[in-house]
Amino acid sequence: MFGLPDWTDPYLFAAIILALTWVVAWIAGFVIRGLMSQSPPQVAAGARRSGKVVVWLVGVLLAVQEVGVSIEILLLVVSLFAIAAIVALRIPLENFGAKYFSDVYSPFKVGDSIQVGSYTGKVIEINAMTTVLLSEDDRLIALPNSSLLKETLVNVSPQAWKELTIPISLPGNVDIAPIESEILKSLGKLRMRLDKRFPPILATKARTAQSTDLVLTVMIRRPEERDALLLEVNKRVHDAIQGTRTREALAPTPPPSETPAKH
Amino acid sequence: MEKINVCINSQTPLLQFLPPPGGGPGPPWGETANLAEFEEGVDYRISPGGVTRMVYPLVRRLLAQGVLDETHWVSLNPVGPRVVRTDGLTLHNVALGPQRMGGYGKTKEAIWSTIHGLTPTESTEDLFWSEEFSEYAFYNRTTSERIRKLDDQLDFDLFYIHDFQQMPVGQMLQTLKPKLFRWHIPFDASRIPEDWRALFVNYLDSYDVVVVSCDRYRAGLRALGFRGKSVRLYPYVDPKEYRRPGKRVAAATCARWGVRPGDTVILVVARMDPAKAHDRAIRALAQLVPKYPRLRLVLVGNGSFSGARGGPGLSKSQRWKSHLESEARRLGVSERVIFAGHVPQHALDCFYERALFTILPSVNEGFGLVVVESWLHRRPTLVTERAGIAELIRDGENGILFDPDDVRSLAAKMHELLDDDGELAGRLTRDAVITARACSIGTAARAEAKLMHEVLEA
Repeated sequence: MFGLPDWTDPYLFAAIILALTWVVAWIAGFVIRGLMSQSPPQVAAGARRSGKVVVWLVGVLLAVQEVGVSIEILLLVVSLFAIAAIVALRIPLENFGAKYFSDVYSPFKVGDSIQVGSYTGKVIEINAMTTVLLSEDDRLIALPNSSLLKETLVNVSPQAWKELTIPISLPGNVDIAPIESEILKSLGKLRMRLDKRFPPILATKARTAQSTDLVLTVMIRRPEERDALLLEVNKRVHDAIQGTRTREALAPTPPPSETPAKH
Repeated sequence: MEKINVCINSQTPLLQFLPPPGGGPGPPWGETANLAEFEEGVDYRISPGGVTRMVYPLVRRLLAQGVLDETHWVSLNPVGPRVVRTDGLTLHNVALGPQRMGGYGKTKEAIWSTIHGLTPTESTEDLFWSEEFSEYAFYNRTTSERIRKLDDQLDFDLFYIHDFQQMPVGQMLQTLKPKLFRWHIPFDASRIPEDWRALFVNYLDSYDVVVVSCDRYRAGLRALGFRGKSVRLYPYVDPKEYRRPGKRVAAATCARWGVRPGDTVILVVARMDPAKAHDRAIRALAQLVPKYPRLRLVLVGNGSFSGARGGPGLSKSQRWKSHLESEARRLGVSERVIFAGHVPQHALDCFYERALFTILPSVNEGFGLVVVESWLHRRPTLVTERAGIAELIRDGENGILFDPDDVRSLAAKMHELLDDDGELAGRLTRDAVITARACSIGTAARAEAKLMHEVLEA
């Protein structure tokens, strides 16, 4: 009745593959996070997600093959769907992808005045497909996000060179307060390199049950240090987030006297 | 008109829960409690100070008038239940651990001292880059997150944030709903260090309206670079809460603090804090005692929430009191100065009644509601020209103004009142009662309700 499982059962074997996939995906996420500690937090989070998706894709294909479905046919169907989707959605996908990169690498934000090609205006909206400008003569200009990567972009806001904006993605249920506190503490050590009149500001950009998107803004003192400071600030933000999460994971349960109880 | 669903936020909690009589940590406070379960004076007390003294009567008044719906009030309060409910009002307490409380307390004290001109500007230039500031940010973020979660459940119409400690909450809250901010302390742009200005403007810009206590502070906001909407609303008291006791009752009550029959009482009502500059009154007293040997200077008030158990743990009130005691000894007037500490409202009414006149000697004062209290008790008052309320005073008509750095002039003005045959005091109090109406809760409730509706309809 309680004999050993049948190790030749393909379904059991597929289940084991899926369990192993979960472990490998977790390890891959951990390794990628370590390797990308100096990258912008949003890029690191994206790379981690992509790495996990690849591991899961391979794991699922292997598991499916184990239960007798031909992997070649499966791959062919998936590939055809992927090609069809890319052809049909080429322009939206291009803009969507460009938004992701321009968020991180293009030096502007909502509220800045920018010039792209022959268009100039104040940025009033950045959505998944377009960046919307309000021109001086009160007209709306929707620039495809892909154009922001292809064309030369000039940020004409006063002292735009001073501003470093670091997008940060965190899980939806995270407590921002200790993370913000750690980031401020850590950036305080760079104060000689930053404009002291503008301490770092952390603003909430978007919030859902799944994720919290924040933007950290710091102002630098010398333009020639911009690149080095970007790397250093990214590293410090990354370390502050990891440090806070590790401390919270290791924090002891509050002693009974601090535990709220019914009066 | 629909009732307004408002969320109020202040650092100082409306209620301070008290330790048990024998000391110790207090009972295990519940998650949620009803105020009716507790007894005032035994389990809790109403926090002293201008913020709670103004905001609570205003909320009660606006609830009674049907302007406000069930109101929620979020504040710092590590001692007591997490949520306390009472009629129409729910109090939400934010807790901080001792270490974070320490850092928060140091930062807000540094801001307060600098704005009051008590700290050299150079010593606080790096404040917003310090480790302590990260704790200040932690407290404000924790508060704004608590408000955000409440808003998710209750869908507030507007947020009313009170006092300088909470200034970052507006920027952190990130909501499109209207946000009002009331600045309670003095606002003089020249006292704000150069390195603080951009951050202050950034914080203040996040509010739809900034409310200040006098026109001078509105000019200060503009001088700082704030271009948003600002409104001047005078602080207020509820005149009905001030009763004039009979002379016999007043004399008997004041005797418990050492005031003897035949003493001439000069009253200062202010918490024990260097900004309140009680030392000026003591030095002026020392100049007058040789001519008036029955003079008594009564100092009513002790620490604020910041020095209370559960507060940020700042012990400046005790240090300041010790300084004043040694100053009185040095000048040979120890016998003439009475440190009454915090007194119940009835005793305070008795001190006003027993006093010949009152003094507000502060080196810097956000407004100075004690002057209004003095007016309501028909007592003439000498007022520092550095108080917000000074703009309501016509010197010699409804009060007497003085420079707190000129003790000789203060003594001369006290001398005028001590020598007065009643003519000057009569004139000062007759006009003062009329001026006090500008600072009554009735006037304020109408103005606050109008402002809230304007912001909602803008």
